[in-house]
Amino acid sequence: MNGGWRAWLRLFAVQGTWNYERMLGVGMGYAAEPLLEDLKTVDPVRHTEAVVRSAEFFNCNPNLAGLALGATARAEYDAVPGAQIARLRTALCSPLGAMGDQLFWAGLVPLLVAAALIGVVLGVTWWAVVGFLVLYNLARVATGVWALRTGLDAGMGIGTAISRSWISKAIERVGPAAGFAVGAAIPLVAAWYLEDIGWPAAFGALAVAATGVAVTRWFGASLTTVRFTLLALVLLVLFRWLLP
Amino acid sequence: MTDLAASSALLLVIWGTLVGLDLVSVPQAMIARPVVAGAVAGWLAGDVEAGLRVGVLFELFALDVLPVGAVRYPDYGPATVAATALASDSPWQLALGLSAALGLAIAVLGGFGLQLVRRANARAIQRRSAALAAGESGAIRRLQYGSLTRDATRGAGLTALGLACAWALAQYVRPDPATGLGLTLVAVGCGLSAVIGGALRGAGRGPRLRWLGAGALVGLIVAALR
Repeated sequence: MNGGWRAWLRLFAVQGTWNYERMLGVGMGYAAEPLLEDLKTVDPVRHTEAVVRSAEFFNCNPNLAGLALGATARAEYDAVPGAQIARLRTALCSPLGAMGDQLFWAGLVPLLVAAALIGVVLGVTWWAVVGFLVLYNLARVATGVWALRTGLDAGMGIGTAISRSWISKAIERVGPAAGFAVGAAIPLVAAWYLEDIGWPAAFGALAVAATGVAVTRWFGASLTTVRFTLLALVLLVLFRWLLP
Repeated sequence: MTDLAASSALLLVIWGTLVGLDLVSVPQAMIARPVVAGAVAGWLAGDVEAGLRVGVLFELFALDVLPVGAVRYPDYGPATVAATALASDSPWQLALGLSAALGLAIAVLGGFGLQLVRRANARAIQRRSAALAAGESGAIRRLQYGSLTRDATRGAGLTALGLACAWALAQYVRPDPATGLGLTLVAVGCGLSAVIGGALRGAGRGPRLRWLGAGALVGLIVAALR
């Protein structure tokens, strides 16, 4: 089977056709095309069926999509019945979504972003920004290569391969690290903004912050922090206008 | 905001388009994160400090977002670019609040735009459903390129709109220093409330909460020692 690198490159755009019907499905079909090319010469009918399956509904974290892509492509070459491959795709959605979201969106991204914020606040601006981009993309590229290779090697045994992999341990470690980094960033960023403004004004801003946390927790999804902020800014302008 | 040269405005629109695409479509390299988008936009606008002040503030809001599944969330990338343009060449203490107001409005609009793009993608798929059912690889490619074009158009339009609003605000809205400072303090306070609320929600009641507390303690000590 050829086309692995082209498929890996196309995985960078796996969410390109994100929609509410097939979610990542068409993006997966786009990434699967190079992998399935050789099947066209071996079994054209099977190739057509495989292309149809590759673009059907699918959803997971984009950084782990390679696991499903590789596994289903391998299964197509292994002549696994189509219904079984469709079931595998469906079964992989939830675990790959949950693991990827915990590893990247709730773990690595807040960890590295918080580290970048600390760097900016401490004055190493460009090192912090570039370091964030380099570290995140190194981790993401390495994960993408590993995911596609693991999927291609494991085929229908992808569940076992995932359960034996490093992902669960990484999730256990990255979560607390992200919590620590975000915790450290908050007071440093607050001081960065408020240190030049004077204590009374700083206390005012911190009072707004405390009110915001309390009010948005109380109202839940109906009052997001963005809505609260826009409301607070409008109220301030109104007060300044009414009581100049 | 100074009168941006046409070349700088064009570069900002290109940068806004790239960060708009990066949020979801391609390549998700995290250039859409406000701290990155703001630093580069500040450099393009000739005021890196303004870009960083805006970028770090919007990053506090962005850390409150968990971009999972079909959730609708603000698009802070092009918003940061527009807000940075408005804040540039002014004392950040007076300009950040108004810039934040503009940026947040653009970010919310960007979230709605993303919904429209996703619905348009779904309609395009329905139109090509026969080709997809026949296993035509060309149809998949055309859908993919069409969707990427739609998202790029969204990013470019959003950034251009943001820059136009920034220009109009700079021309016609001049808050007095007290109001400008008040807006900045409210914006910073709200940013802190967003990141604290998001961090507490994400930490739950497990070990992550303890690590969050430990980090906050370390951060406080470092901030006090600086």
